[in-house]
Amino acid sequence: MAHAPKHSQAKAIIGVDTGGTFTDITLLNPATGEVWNAKTPSTPLDPSQGFGNGITEILSTSGLAGSEIARVLHGTTVATNLILEGKGAKAALLTTRGFKYVIEIGRQDVPRRGSLFAWVKPKRPIAPEHIFEIGGRIEPDGNELEALDEAAIRQAAKEIKAAGISAVAVVFLHSYANADHERRAAAIIEEEHPDALVSISSDVLPVFREYERSMTTILNVAVMPVVSAYVERLDQRISERKIEAPLLLMKSSGGVTSARNVKRAPVETALSGPAAGAVGATFVGANAGVKNLIGIDIGGTSADVCLIHDGKPGLTTSGHVGDWPLGLPMVDIVTIGAGGGSIARVSKSGALTVGPESAGAEPGPVCYRRGGEEPTVTDAHLVLGHLPPYLLDGKFALDIEGAQRAVRKYVADPLGMSVEAAARGILSIVDNLMVGAIRIVSVERGHDPRDFALLPFGGAGPLHGGALARLLGMRTMLVPPNPGVLSALGLLVSNLKAEFTRTCLQKARATDLSLIARVFGELEADAVAWLEQEDVPQNARQTNWTASVRYQNQGFELFIPWAAREVTPDALAATIAAFHQTHERLYTFAQEDTPVEIVTLRVDAQGVFPAPAMREIAHGGNTKDAIVAHQKMHLASGTVDGPVYDRARLGSDARIEGPAIVTQLDATTLVLDGQTATTDRFGNLLISEKR
Amino acid sequence: MQKLQSDDVADAADPVTLQIVRGALSAVQSEMEAVIERTAMSPFIREKKDFYAALFDGTGRLISGSNLPLFGDVIAPIAEHYPLETMRPGDIYWFNDCYASRGAVSHTPDQVFVAPVFADGQLSAFAQSWAHFNDVGGMRAGSLSPDCTEIYQEGIIVPPVRVAREGVVVEELLRLFYRNSRFPEMVKGDTRASIAAIRLGERRLEELFQRFGRAATLAAFNALISDTEQQLRAKLRALLPEGEHRFTDRVDSDGHGNGPIKLRYKLNVTPDAISLDATESDDQVRGPVNFLMAPEVPAMVFASYLLGENTNTLNSGAHQALDKIVLRPGSVLQPNFPAPLGMRGVTMMRNMAACLGLLNVATGGKAMAAHSAYVIWYMRGRDENDELFLLSDGLGVGYGARTTADGNDAVYLVAQENFPSEFLETVFPVRVRRYAINPDTGGPGRWRGGCGLIREVEVLAKEAMISMRIDSVENPPWGVAGGHAAGTGRCVINPGRPDERVLRPLSDGNMVKRGDIVRIETGGGGGWGHPFDREADAVLRDVRGGFVSRESAEANYGVVLTPDGRSVDTAATEKRRAKRPATKLFHRHGYHEVLD
Repeated sequence: MAHAPKHSQAKAIIGVDTGGTFTDITLLNPATGEVWNAKTPSTPLDPSQGFGNGITEILSTSGLAGSEIARVLHGTTVATNLILEGKGAKAALLTTRGFKYVIEIGRQDVPRRGSLFAWVKPKRPIAPEHIFEIGGRIEPDGNELEALDEAAIRQAAKEIKAAGISAVAVVFLHSYANADHERRAAAIIEEEHPDALVSISSDVLPVFREYERSMTTILNVAVMPVVSAYVERLDQRISERKIEAPLLLMKSSGGVTSARNVKRAPVETALSGPAAGAVGATFVGANAGVKNLIGIDIGGTSADVCLIHDGKPGLTTSGHVGDWPLGLPMVDIVTIGAGGGSIARVSKSGALTVGPESAGAEPGPVCYRRGGEEPTVTDAHLVLGHLPPYLLDGKFALDIEGAQRAVRKYVADPLGMSVEAAARGILSIVDNLMVGAIRIVSVERGHDPRDFALLPFGGAGPLHGGALARLLGMRTMLVPPNPGVLSALGLLVSNLKAEFTRTCLQKARATDLSLIARVFGELEADAVAWLEQEDVPQNARQTNWTASVRYQNQGFELFIPWAAREVTPDALAATIAAFHQTHERLYTFAQEDTPVEIVTLRVDAQGVFPAPAMREIAHGGNTKDAIVAHQKMHLASGTVDGPVYDRARLGSDARIEGPAIVTQLDATTLVLDGQTATTDRFGNLLISEKR
Repeated sequence: MQKLQSDDVADAADPVTLQIVRGALSAVQSEMEAVIERTAMSPFIREKKDFYAALFDGTGRLISGSNLPLFGDVIAPIAEHYPLETMRPGDIYWFNDCYASRGAVSHTPDQVFVAPVFADGQLSAFAQSWAHFNDVGGMRAGSLSPDCTEIYQEGIIVPPVRVAREGVVVEELLRLFYRNSRFPEMVKGDTRASIAAIRLGERRLEELFQRFGRAATLAAFNALISDTEQQLRAKLRALLPEGEHRFTDRVDSDGHGNGPIKLRYKLNVTPDAISLDATESDDQVRGPVNFLMAPEVPAMVFASYLLGENTNTLNSGAHQALDKIVLRPGSVLQPNFPAPLGMRGVTMMRNMAACLGLLNVATGGKAMAAHSAYVIWYMRGRDENDELFLLSDGLGVGYGARTTADGNDAVYLVAQENFPSEFLETVFPVRVRRYAINPDTGGPGRWRGGCGLIREVEVLAKEAMISMRIDSVENPPWGVAGGHAAGTGRCVINPGRPDERVLRPLSDGNMVKRGDIVRIETGGGGGWGHPFDREADAVLRDVRGGFVSRESAEANYGVVLTPDGRSVDTAATEKRRAKRPATKLFHRHGYHEVLD
């Protein structure tokens, strides 16, 4: 593939993960497994600046020239933030006559935990006056019932142009079954309003349920101008640095795609950052020989949890970003507002709560000495001796007294507890919130967390991992070599991916195999065309067929791998058998006597890059030599003088008995009393409970 | 009901355990609901999401449950047949018997399954699932019909029964039940889903007890309950002046020629107690709008309204915050057996509005305005394969304006979703022609009431029967503090055609045939505050968005638009607004100080 030319083995790849506060840059030489890391401040006004600065820095640290780079991979929050902050472009919508208010009405529900009285319906991204109803009707089976009213489209395009709107979504009923009307509408708009960006739902998400498809298409076109301009600036930053390699961006589904595709379907990057973390976790797990794991990325304000089963991150097609549904395949990530900066408070009635308010990066925890006053989770860790008094290789002294004062004033005194008990209480509460999130991605998806290893990452992950694993009865915890930059690593090891989906509803007793065959054939052709377009060599191509299946009348479908590469009665029967099994695994029962319906077909295409070899670390000498200090740790079982290890000095096969702290530049790992940590040849820390 | 021994419960819950238990209960409830949602089969549950999970302590007090003010004491009716001391781990209890449960369930399609939870060998909690099954037999498909005149016509009645003993399910009971449904497959799936959910709840609660110990966990339950009671009492006390506050709201009709049916409430506030008396409400009626109201319900309305978004605090502490509730047997809120109950939703919704009315009377108009009752219509018939189909479509309505915000447009009820048109058209013999906001149904006000919606479908089946349920037509949801009443709903067949006809709002047996157009319009919510105080730009936005007509903007809001309709004619508006109509506390068919 263009991104992996013949000589790519000699070339390096760069991953840039833009976060809220910092941009993490990682450079990997796939031949030797050598890795360089760098961190630069993010530049929220124009994130491409931080991106460029980071690349400059990593080229200089690694001593490589731009011409020695094979590809640049990027995880971005540009689309995410536009959606969350409602700052997408002003857009218009063309929709089927009679259905102007689909997005206004939504699913007519109040959130399940919301109050009927207090809840206020969120303002829709497009006001009704910018929604145009167009005559013309497609039936559920794709037949044209009524011809498209082209004059109405021309008129609408003129009005949209006159209103100064240049982002247009087109969503017609049942367009997943026949996209002709939407395509024709797009062509007419382009004639009448050539400057407009147009997004049609049959391109973005050809799947039934008009509200979700509308919202996904609207968000796609609304983020398009800003994301396109951003991607162009990234290209520019790259070429300024004499890099001729292509830019690939991480999609929510956990694969990368070319900048060209992102400009067309920018909404596919809505979960770009967290998806990269899931890919990184998968990779680290594979190296350590662990195929089933739960990743938890704990940052300053939030924690993202994902589940990896059999070496693959879980995907969902019913995710949300902010208030809006996104029906695209995305890594199944549950985010909660709990992180190192989460603030602990005592209510008037004496209830102790932690988060979702966060001290964030500014002012940050009290112990960061940047003006924070209320105690945070990080302050609680410091009070209990879970953190060394200095961070970042001793460059940054933490304010222990300040942390103690805050915990005392705001929590311990109001509740009449000791400072240590209060700090432990803060951590217990936040750990339990995280356990709840882990339960959602595991138990609510039919998995038992005890069958998984926990992979904590992000700056604060390894501080909590031990307690979380213990609460959930998980036997193993895996702390990657650089937990703070795992998302950037995920970028480096990710493959090209694209998903081609179409609803093709099959009534239970009337499954039309020839139609299924035709649709799979067309999706496969789309996938192959995409692989061609991305220059993926034959031997690096993969396509997988899946079908979403449900019991007749059930409202929820499961995606099941299609049992063969042909559409035959046997393949259908085998797919349905697999559906029954999956249903039983997920929901404790199968109903083999109930008819089964095929709803949506999907072909996933992958261009597989050669897996980079990761560098192995030398066998360590005496583990005790890695002890750089001892410090007081206040554990539930009592106060001890625990050792502090420098992770950089640990070789492979080191063994550490808890309680202990392992420090490194980007994170601190807490090994609890009763837990043992060992290192493997890749430098992973494997922590387990003592027998 | 058996009382827990005092030495069973720790003295006080520590704040950390309390917070963890609070979070854990809400997580357990969510997990249980996830199981129901994903595995049930009837459309009522699977797309409309008409289900809840709840958790109770060992004495049957609610600790975490639905935030719909609808439910009562679920455990007591079971305990009457199966004393608590006879319960064993692995048991499951089940009922839908409204009268035997004194309104804990208020219409027959709602199935309650309960599993006792044991810790240290002692009964310590209950896990419950509640779900609306789409057909449990009865007079017509869907079990509920405005035509019913006694509860026997509304489906098979299941008194509290033990459907599993120590883990062994009594299949005979279930077979009997399935045999009574027109859609046994769906009912079977829904039953399995309900049972799977409470089994999960049982396991999770056992884990909770193991983790914190029985005594500490029960102490936490107690603390959560008393915390809610105290919070709600404090809010009520702060809001309600001493004295007697009266309010009356109206249900239009019972579908059998009786109506209006009045709910007459008296809230009596003394230094010692807050009590609610509804005994002056009208007698029970022949049609199925009787609401066998559990006495807990009005307190839950107040809690749900006053505790705001903190819905995880809605537990039995709220029930205790009202000292006394008096209902009169034989009234529409406490009908005698075997009065029909199937359409109790309309009365339940008016009860909510009446509670808000009491708060408005007590505060001089500082609470929310009234809403319409959600609309449900059924279409029953045979599809092209001659198979029975039942389309049961719930439609959103407008909710009342708040003192600080507009009412929500087109909302059904908490967590209950619509059928996507693309789903309806693939599953049922209908073509959806229109799904829209119903303009001018939001009551004008400083804050506008929410608008209802319009659903218009073409019938593709050869023939079908329609059951319609719309209330608040003759007695529109009132506005308050100067806000106007809402616009109302209706159902019209073949609008604009020579054979146009309007259906009675609460009626069944309406036959339609292929090619007929069914248009259902739903009502809105009342407005809050004087409409002349609404920013002219907000009115303009509403006109341009199709929520408010130009005529209403001018007549009700005093806002005149420029001829092109694109901006406000400021001068004309000022002139128009100079003559400001006087108001009274409530508005319904004109302003009134008192509604009756």
